[in-house]
Amino acid sequence: MRYRIHHTTSLRYDGVVRLARLNLRLKPALWPGQRVENFALKLDPPPAEIEAGDGPWIVHRHRVILREALSELSIESRFDIEVSEPALSPDDAGAPDIGSIRAAALTLPDLSPMGPASYLFASPMAPPSTAIAEWAAPFLAADQSVLAAGHALMKAIHESFAYDGTATSVTTTAQDAFEQKRGVCQDFAHVMIVAARAHGIPAAYVSGYLRTLPPPGQPRLVGADAMHAWAALWCGQAIGWVGFDPTNDVLAGTDHIFVAMGRDYADIAPIDGVFLGGAGQNLSVSVDVEPVED
Amino acid sequence: MDWLKDYPVDVDAGDLFRHAPPEVAAKWRMMADGLHTLAQDSGLSAQELLARQIADMGMSFRMTGDAEERSWPLTPMPLIVGAQEWAKVEAGLIQRARLLEAVVGDIYGPQDLVREGHIPAAVVAGSRYFARAMGGVLPRRGHYIHVYAVDLARGPHGQWRVLGDRLRLANGVGYALENRLALSRGTGSLLSDIHARRLAGFFGQLRQGLSADCPRESPRIALLTPGRFNQSYPEQAHLARYLGFPLVEGRDLTVIDGKLYVRTIGGPKRVDALWRWIDTNSLDPLNFDARSTIGVPDLADCWTGGQVAMANWPGVEVVEAPAFAAFLPRLFQTLLGEDPLLPNVATWWCGGEAEADLVRGRLDELMVAPAFGQRVEGLAAVQPAHGAQLTLEAREALLAAMARRPMDYCAQEIINLSTTPALIDDRFEPRPFTLRAFVARGADGEWVVMPGGFARLSSSGKIASTLMGEGDLSADVCVVDEADEERFSRVTLTGAPAIRRDGGVLAAQAADNLFWFGRYGERAEMTVRVVRSILGGGIEVDAGASGHPEVRTRLVDLLANWGALSADHNALSPAEACRAALVENVLPGGVAALLNTQRNVGQSLRDRFAPDFWRIASRPLPLLDSHRPGVLLRVARELVERFAALSGLGAEDMVRGPAWRFLDMGRRIERALSLCRIARQLEGAGEESDRLNTLLDIFDSQITYRSRYLSAPLRDPVYDLLLLDPDNPRSLVHQVQAIERHIVALPSLREDALPEAPLREVRAVLAPLISLTVDQFDGPRMAEIEMRLQALSDSISARYFLQFDAAVAGRTPLQG
Repeated sequence: MRYRIHHTTSLRYDGVVRLARLNLRLKPALWPGQRVENFALKLDPPPAEIEAGDGPWIVHRHRVILREALSELSIESRFDIEVSEPALSPDDAGAPDIGSIRAAALTLPDLSPMGPASYLFASPMAPPSTAIAEWAAPFLAADQSVLAAGHALMKAIHESFAYDGTATSVTTTAQDAFEQKRGVCQDFAHVMIVAARAHGIPAAYVSGYLRTLPPPGQPRLVGADAMHAWAALWCGQAIGWVGFDPTNDVLAGTDHIFVAMGRDYADIAPIDGVFLGGAGQNLSVSVDVEPVED
Repeated sequence: MDWLKDYPVDVDAGDLFRHAPPEVAAKWRMMADGLHTLAQDSGLSAQELLARQIADMGMSFRMTGDAEERSWPLTPMPLIVGAQEWAKVEAGLIQRARLLEAVVGDIYGPQDLVREGHIPAAVVAGSRYFARAMGGVLPRRGHYIHVYAVDLARGPHGQWRVLGDRLRLANGVGYALENRLALSRGTGSLLSDIHARRLAGFFGQLRQGLSADCPRESPRIALLTPGRFNQSYPEQAHLARYLGFPLVEGRDLTVIDGKLYVRTIGGPKRVDALWRWIDTNSLDPLNFDARSTIGVPDLADCWTGGQVAMANWPGVEVVEAPAFAAFLPRLFQTLLGEDPLLPNVATWWCGGEAEADLVRGRLDELMVAPAFGQRVEGLAAVQPAHGAQLTLEAREALLAAMARRPMDYCAQEIINLSTTPALIDDRFEPRPFTLRAFVARGADGEWVVMPGGFARLSSSGKIASTLMGEGDLSADVCVVDEADEERFSRVTLTGAPAIRRDGGVLAAQAADNLFWFGRYGERAEMTVRVVRSILGGGIEVDAGASGHPEVRTRLVDLLANWGALSADHNALSPAEACRAALVENVLPGGVAALLNTQRNVGQSLRDRFAPDFWRIASRPLPLLDSHRPGVLLRVARELVERFAALSGLGAEDMVRGPAWRFLDMGRRIERALSLCRIARQLEGAGEESDRLNTLLDIFDSQITYRSRYLSAPLRDPVYDLLLLDPDNPRSLVHQVQAIERHIVALPSLREDALPEAPLREVRAVLAPLISLTVDQFDGPRMAEIEMRLQALSDSISARYFLQFDAAVAGRTPLQG
């Protein structure tokens, strides 16, 4: 599949802010099966400095400094991307069981951000939770196939949590979302990550875009999409990372466009930073994921 | 007299005194006798002698959960270790520091140790201090570690062993210094008599080691603190003062073009090195944890570009995880080609299958602990738990949790501690101890070990991971030589320093705090003076309580306006109102509340105040359980005396640098404002003579007035004395002139020699005071002067202090 992505974030500050320094994590990092073309980033007002490079996780980062005083800022990114069907679609029959995954993650001498070891432990926004661990235990027995377990866990989250854009915020931890049983994609991904890690399965947080299909007979609404997030579980060296989308109860496939992977939201937040000035801020986001005919 | 004569003989073979070689045992006796003699000569116990030093030095600490600081529990008898025994410890510590340096260098460099299977990837990734972003970032001179603290245990047969490595924070290094200071001040020449090695050389080396890594000559090294609410803040403040490092918080610092600066009243000044007391994760919100509010945005740019040296290098604390101890012993051979001189406590990491099996099988003989120093499922605390002491239920829960996440656990052999003689009441008793030792990199980059350390005498015999536990004692550690060795008493460093007279930098934040410390103190004093006047504390023979009732009512109203009384004060008698204003600790203008606020602001200035000053400033309010005017008056007088003592100390002891100027400006601006305020408040109240007498009384000018005028108080003479007479130290013009002198003496940011805004403002206040005559001062003019004084205060804030505006920005929410 080919897509054209157009993502605009408009920030409006209550007062004047100075010396805004931002991290933008909007350009898709290198990921198997994806090819990015024509990436363009535009800021208004334009920044004094911009620097691009790889971050410490599977993430591409633009460092941006705006020296002038400003009260509004728009950040616009566009790119074309080709997403191919996963080479071999993961198949339950050959997948290792959870016990073997745990053992493999502990012995594999790989400290890289693709390796499993880095995703085994608590992270700032996904601290361990006894409640989540106990809730997830029935799906995650040691002799269960990791793929089957991932499916069961994903389905359970999809069924027991209500989608509610007002219940949580970007700083909500998995535990809080779990207690409320509501939230957005970020919360569902965090809950899944905490549950998997509690049983020794390496689990990562993925941010990206999702192609959304208009209701039958209606045109696609431009700009109505949003950024998306899901979880990835490490399913052994042979299969590698598999994306589980608990918001939609599907595996990440050609409808999912990968942007970045880290331990949780905080590692790969699309935009964060600091500025001078005690202003509150207002934020609006518009995302368009347009399928392009070959 | 041999005070140690009754010390038990049947102690474990490892007792530090009982089984010391004869020449060291002789030092123990000499020390014990010396303490005994000192105690007898002074009529105090040795503990009391030491407690006086501790109180004088203002030594204190906070335990987790404490709101107030506690006084420091130091026992007079130090641990005495002979030179021979110490030499072995020293060699072992230096070897271990070399090893850790090599391990850290590999983890943030080629990562061969992980790739070749010497350290499991999960042991590195499991530490929350593993800083992935530091990979490939090299310190300018290749030094990752500058300060290294180690917990040591001495076993029952006298063998030393490493309990834990600390690279994140060298907690205790300041307390070791304070313990030594208190002990040497409290015991005369005793420490030199036993030839105890001195600590000063170690700190000198530490400082020079850091300075040698800085890019500039005569570098500025700052101590970066998380702030005054941090548990070890008193220790950090003490170290900064002792080493002469500015004590800075993240918000004092700013990064400009990849270089680090401290914001001072004279503009930004370069900082070349930081001794950080902040976790790596919190150091830089743009490169590590974005939620950190105590770090410095883009600090990483400075160290990456080699523009700031860090002690220690960010990320080094990854190796202090207990799980690492399972792999370090083998690395001595792998990395150094040497056998370890000092073993660490035997450790098994359960992330390995064979190790997990072993631990499960021998649970009763082992201590189980979280592998990475964080609370984990199945264990109640971060401290190791004795397997054998777990209830059946707890054991089941632990085993189940370990099956799910074996990598979160490690097990350690059980360590027995040897004992040391501790002076408990009036006799020596054996107490188990652990010792925190300190290693630093010296001027030439080589390792030096502090000849001594921080000993913790446990009341329970348990090994704790915190510095001090409930009921524990601390003790100094003396390494003793046979004779007073020249080389230890005269550590020649780099020759004599250049003479200087400035006091180093004054951070904008500190200037702000000093100014408000002054203002809060003066406001408290003015409130007390008003109270005293209401109660009739003046010298007027027949004035009674502040003369005319209307004058009193106006003063009580003023207390309410100042926020010292609640709005419903009308029901109170004047005496009740006075008591309420003194004890009020919720409303911001109450005397108790003002003193609290002042003390809180002052906490962050601890490194600038003389201990005497701080002791008086932090004295609690006298007990006030009565409404009787006599009692209230006595308390008010006592408080006025306290304020006088503080300003006396400030006047006599503080160097006339910018710090003193800001403190004094705050005091004077508040006094000037109060004078205008009180004069206006009393306008037209009651009889003129009552009103003027009250004013003279509040501003301590009665005597002067009488010596000048035979008449009863009249308006113009009184106003001239209180407003316009520059020779009266309580007059308005005197305050404003002093402020003008301060501002003139402060650094200017302008290169064109034009006056800055605060100077223009102060001169605008001053102009009418020096050019007009007293009959021209009416109500409106007083109001205008008051307004101008406010503007002056705002202008001082805007020019010299930080604007608190750094905020964490723009995280986009995700939808979908």
